[in-house]
Amino acid sequence: MTESIQVEGLAKTFNGTVRAVDNISFSVHPGEAFGFLGPNGAGKTTTVNLLTGQLAPTAGHAVVDGVDVFRHPAEIKRRIGLVFQESTADSDLTGRENLELAAALFGVPRREVRDRVEALLERMQIGDAADRLARTYSGGMRRRLELGVGIIHSPRVLFLDEPTLGLDPQGRAGFWRYVQELRKDHGMTVFVTTHYLDEVDLICDRLAIIDHGHIVASGTSSELKDRLGGDVVTIRTERPEPAVETALRAVPGVLSVSAQDGSYRIKAPKGEQLIPAIVQACVQSGVGLSSVSLKRPSLDEVFLEFTGHEYREDGVTPTDRAVRVSQVSQAFGRSRR
Amino acid sequence: MIRELSALTKRELLRLGRNPQAIATSLLLPILYLVLFGQAFNLNNITKLSPYPVPPSVFLELYRGAPSYFSYFSAGMTGFVAVTATLFIGANVIFDRLFGTLKRTAASPATPTAIFGARLLAGSVQPIGLAFLVLGLSLLLGHIGLNGLDITASVGVLGAAEIVGAIVILSVMFASLFIAIGFSLEQPQTYFAAVNAINLPVLLTSAALYPWGILPVWLKNVASYNPITLAVNVLRENLFAGASSYYPYGPGVYLLGLFGWAAAMFLIATLLARRALSPRR
Repeated sequence: MTESIQVEGLAKTFNGTVRAVDNISFSVHPGEAFGFLGPNGAGKTTTVNLLTGQLAPTAGHAVVDGVDVFRHPAEIKRRIGLVFQESTADSDLTGRENLELAAALFGVPRREVRDRVEALLERMQIGDAADRLARTYSGGMRRRLELGVGIIHSPRVLFLDEPTLGLDPQGRAGFWRYVQELRKDHGMTVFVTTHYLDEVDLICDRLAIIDHGHIVASGTSSELKDRLGGDVVTIRTERPEPAVETALRAVPGVLSVSAQDGSYRIKAPKGEQLIPAIVQACVQSGVGLSSVSLKRPSLDEVFLEFTGHEYREDGVTPTDRAVRVSQVSQAFGRSRR
Repeated sequence: MIRELSALTKRELLRLGRNPQAIATSLLLPILYLVLFGQAFNLNNITKLSPYPVPPSVFLELYRGAPSYFSYFSAGMTGFVAVTATLFIGANVIFDRLFGTLKRTAASPATPTAIFGARLLAGSVQPIGLAFLVLGLSLLLGHIGLNGLDITASVGVLGAAEIVGAIVILSVMFASLFIAIGFSLEQPQTYFAAVNAINLPVLLTSAALYPWGILPVWLKNVASYNPITLAVNVLRENLFAGASSYYPYGPGVYLLGLFGWAAAMFLIATLLARRALSPRR
């Protein structure tokens, strides 16, 4: 199978000292949504800039849609779509004019321009504001306009560089809905960088985690979570009892037990099915339980596992994230994996 | 390439048209110069203070064949607006970089030549328009009883073409210069500092304002190579009868010199734009 994106040994060093991207290799299948996950400064945007012909590499090779990126950067720009994390639409032009300009720059046949622009204005739900200057658009409208500009030439590979940064949960949900529609309708390959774990979990078929310029893990969300060894059941006993830990280890299906501040973290592939046996083991050891909780592995834990540090999701509170997960999930009618 | 160039030029012109404040601001300076400075600074009035009659030949020598200081000066202002009206073109490059618009254009398949060319084309429209406005206003002032431009030569087709050519080439030259600076610098503050360091020295080492006849020799030597001087020489030789006898060369030579300046600036600006828009190393 010819990959949509094939990257080998890619590296970028700035000023001879700062290794923003350090010998990374990965591939993205045609039609796939591939998430590139990492905290701020991990090397995500540098990777996008390299793969979209805006930045020359220090080392390595990259082929996108069958074209060598570093030998033919102009051809790459013609073939791909790109949505930046910041707003790049011209504020002094209307939404329609921005799309028409992009159509001319990307060589959309003249006879198709009008229809494509109208179709995109409608699809991106900015038809009513088509003839208003882009500077009067809300954040969500500008993001949708950016997406429209990025896909006006129907690219086969679309790069989204933190496209939902600064959007409210509804705006995010709407944005991803359009992206999913595009994938469904055109079989577009999507390469998305984000530092929102929940978005990757919901949108992407596969993902890679990048930290300090290195890819530390890659695979499907489920595969990465499975590598953690399953669910985590945390119990707190009424009093310390050394025999409990031995009893818990003896429960069939338990992978590991670790004592932590008066509680026990028990790893097991199907945690909810083991809870009765765990409770029974505690009772047989002569201690009562004060609490039991079950935690399914999330990408947060995956990130912690592979990078050795907590995910740095700047400026987002757990409540924000909970609301966002709920709304984004609702938009797709799916439960969180 | 042509389609990209025309689309980007249209974008620049739309932006210009939607920013009437910038147009009004660029009009203000030449109008003030013509209506205030040009009216007040009439060296011919020195005859009123002199107990002896001043021969007209003195003034002709002073203004290199122009009939009055205002006529001499208004031709100079026509050249100088090429500087003032192109000042902001380079700043737009910097602001477009800061606001992401340039990033979007650079990420498109548009060639650096088209991106730079569109800015140059659109950026030259304003100074060219302004230059003809200055000429028109200068003529009009003379018809309402104020000091005005007195065209004493009969301007033929060739002369008109030389005048238009000088204005266009001068505008392209300064537009290229300021676009080159815009592509080289990243901060607006640095840009405006650089522009200020160019603006006044270019004006003050040219023959746009000074009566040529009283310039010290060293300044005459410097001013002779100044692009504004080269352009206004073309205008003055064509607008004023007998002016050619005050100039060592014909308008064609000055146009050639001006073209050399413009070509050099165009080349530098093209290289800097290509460097700024190529994949970064």
